[in-house]
This record gives sequence, structure tokens and C-alpha cells, in this order.
Amino acid sequence: MENRLSSILLAAALLSGCGWFHRGDKGPKPVTVEEPQAEPSIVEPQVTRREVTTPKIKSKDFEVGAYAGALSIQDFGVNPIYGVRAAFHVTEDFFLEAYAARSKAGQSSLEEVFPDINVLSNSGRQFTYYDLDVGYNVLPGEVFLGRGRAFNSALYVTVGMGDVRFANQDQFALNFGVGYRVLITDWLAMHVDVRDHVFESSLFGVDKNVDNVEATLSLTTYF
Amino acid sequence: MRRLLALALLLQALHVGQANAAKHQLLELVVSEPFIEMHSGPGRGFPVVYVVGRDEVLTVLFSRTDWYKVRAPHGAEGWVRRADLARTKLPSGEPAPIPPYPEFASHRWEVGAGYGVYNKQNLVTTWVDFAITDSIDVEGVLQQALGNLDNRYIGSIGLRHTFVPEWKWFSPTVGLGTAYQHISDKVPPAPLEDNNQMAYVSVGARGFITRRFMWRADWRHYVVFNNLNVNEELEEWKIGLAVFF
Repeated sequence: MENRLSSILLAAALLSGCGWFHRGDKGPKPVTVEEPQAEPSIVEPQVTRREVTTPKIKSKDFEVGAYAGALSIQDFGVNPIYGVRAAFHVTEDFFLEAYAARSKAGQSSLEEVFPDINVLSNSGRQFTYYDLDVGYNVLPGEVFLGRGRAFNSALYVTVGMGDVRFANQDQFALNFGVGYRVLITDWLAMHVDVRDHVFESSLFGVDKNVDNVEATLSLTTYF
Repeated sequence: MRRLLALALLLQALHVGQANAAKHQLLELVVSEPFIEMHSGPGRGFPVVYVVGRDEVLTVLFSRTDWYKVRAPHGAEGWVRRADLARTKLPSGEPAPIPPYPEFASHRWEVGAGYGVYNKQNLVTTWVDFAITDSIDVEGVLQQALGNLDNRYIGSIGLRHTFVPEWKWFSPTVGLGTAYQHISDKVPPAPLEDNNQMAYVSVGARGFITRRFMWRADWRHYVVFNNLNVNEELEEWKIGLAVFF
């Protein structure tokens, strides 16, 4: 026992001594150990570590798209509207959605009857809004095209709020909508939406709530 | 015509993107229960259109909310409920690596929006939260206050402490931070613009509605550093919904 201990100590001392000795050397010297020529083995062991990577599941909960349609600006006629939308599907029932769109008001009845009157300047006719909404899929289901094709669809309602900029003024606006979504593929969807933007306006002298209803067609993609 | 061409090219590019995504290696799972049901859509009401038996291999294409689109051995595709897919196994026998729900107490990011009242004006608010620890968050808020006399944009950044983060339905919070507001007067003839630095303290609460949805309510007291002898003080309350990751 003592013998073995002393031999270990001796080996350790020797090694550290070697370390000390080599401190001045530039770069490590390869240590070559003379070994008797090994017999050529019959089986070459080829053990490599197997790389196990589990592919991740992609989630497609986000939806972005663009829409176009007609917006009825109260007292200013029906005008084309263009917008963008982005949604996050939280559960199979609920989603959060943001919209931004722009339209331009036409002539009011007053202006049509009396062409000299200008209720709004040119820049004041710009109708811009953004909305933050919560949506609920009321009637999810499928639609069928002929015998062999089925598309997932849903009738949903949305409620939200945002800012409408009209007549060069920002107004707080509530919006209520109904929409119908058909998924053409897993990543492409088509929507038909009807939404009402309600805000208080005093453009014609009296404070009143104005309804601005839009009907739009959207194309969106999921990712 | 050129627009149409551009649209066609865009769609083509999107399609190529999808095709490339399809080449991405997909997860394969082995059914370990007697059978697994595939629905025709990602929702509880969609009918079961296909059943895959034990030891057969499912390819998981992607997920949407709590549903997973999968492909059966013979090419049939359908939607599997998260809880069902969680009971399958990897080919090596390990349990399926279905990512866990974000922990309500220790999630990292939170994004939300809501309604409020700021200085008696309607307020549209959005926020992003980053959790430093389970109970301390950095919150960044961007909001717009719309009133009869003026409109304001308010940006703020601050720290918030959640008292008992492990309380699921209701957990009180307090916060402290700095804010900046931009005011544009609505009243003619000369619209006035103004900017102020502010500081706030807040008291609030939050709770979880589902595994991915939460509500948050907040009351804030602002001190506006203006040029007058006495600093103006403002109040705000708001309530909103948020998702977390």
C-alpha cells in the first residue's frame, strides 16, 4: 500500500517536474511514446455519436393581409377604401386583430346642392383609421365546392376601438363588425367583412354620432 | 396590367416560400394509444374524418392555436387536438415534444391592448412587457388619448412589481416609471402643440383568463413637469387584454 502511494507521488512529482522543465519551450511538443506495433485489428470500430435533433413544430397563429372595399362616410357618400390587417389567433374561438385603412370622402349633399360651399378642405376629406379589435368565431364550419372540396370557414364578430382621422381631426371611434372567413389553403384565406365605425362628430354644427359602414374583401396569409 | 403581374409574382414568391417550408424537416410521432382522431378542422365542432391506429406514424405539419395539422401514413390530412397529440411518442420511445404552454407565472413577453380614460379623455392603449424576474417587469406603453379639446400621444417606460405572480386569477401590481406626452390642441383658430416630460406611479392587477389570454387593469397617477409654478397632475385608468409568450 505504502509502496503504491509513494510510486503515485513519485509519478506526480515527475510529471510536475516535466511541466516545469517545459515551461520555457515554445509551443507544446508532441509527446511520442514508443509502442509495440499493434496487431491490425479485424474489426475497425466506427462509433460516432448520433446527432438526434427533433424537428420543431411550426405554429401558424399569425395572419396578415390587405383589404379593399367601399366605405360609406356619413353625409359624404360611398367611397373606395384600402387597408391592411394583422391578427393573432389566441384560441380556436378568440383572436386579436389590428386594422389600418384609408379612404377619401366625396361631396356631401349640401355641397352637391350648393356647389359654392366647401364643407371640407382637400386634406380634410382624407378618412384614415386604425382599430384594435377582439374577435370571436361564432360559427366555425366548412363550405363545400362540388363533391370533392371542403374549405374551413368561420363567421366571426369583432368589437374594438381606435382612432378615426377625418376633417383633419382625430376622434375616438368604436367599431362593430361581422365577417366571414374562408381558408382557401392552410395559409391563404379570404374574408368578407362589414364593419361600422361610430364616432362623435360636430362637423355640421351639432354633436352627433356618425356611422361609417364599410364592406370589404380581404386576402390574408397565415404564418 | 403591371400591377397584376406584380401580384402574380408575389403570389408565386409566397408559394415558393411555402414549398421551401415543406422541405423543412417535419416531426414524426408514433401513436401509442389505441387510436388517435383526426378532425376536419381546428375546432371542437369539426367532425372526425380519419382515425390512425396504434404504432402508426403521424407527420406533424404545423400548429394553429391548440390544434395540430397532421398527415397520416397514407396521406390523409387532418387536425389533432393538442391533448391527444401530447399522448403520442417519438420513434425513439420518448414522449412527444409538444411545446408546453407558456407558464403564466414565469412567461417572458407580454403584448396587450386596451381601453382607458386619461385626463377624462378616451384612451387607446398598447403595451409590451418584458419579465426580468417572475415578479418584476419592464413595461413599455404607447397610447393615444382622444378628447374634445386636444389629442395626446403618451409613451412611457417603467418597472412593475407583481406581488404574488403564482396567483392565477388575480394578482396585484405596483409600478413606477417615466413618461412623455405630446399634446396637439383641437380648438381653433391656432392649434397649439406641446411636449411634456412626466413621471408616474401605478397600482393595478392582472389575471389569466385562459392558458394564453390575460387581463390587466391599471390606475396611474402622473406628475407633469411643465413650466408653471405648480406641476400638473393627471390620472389615468385602463383595462385591457394581453397574450404572452
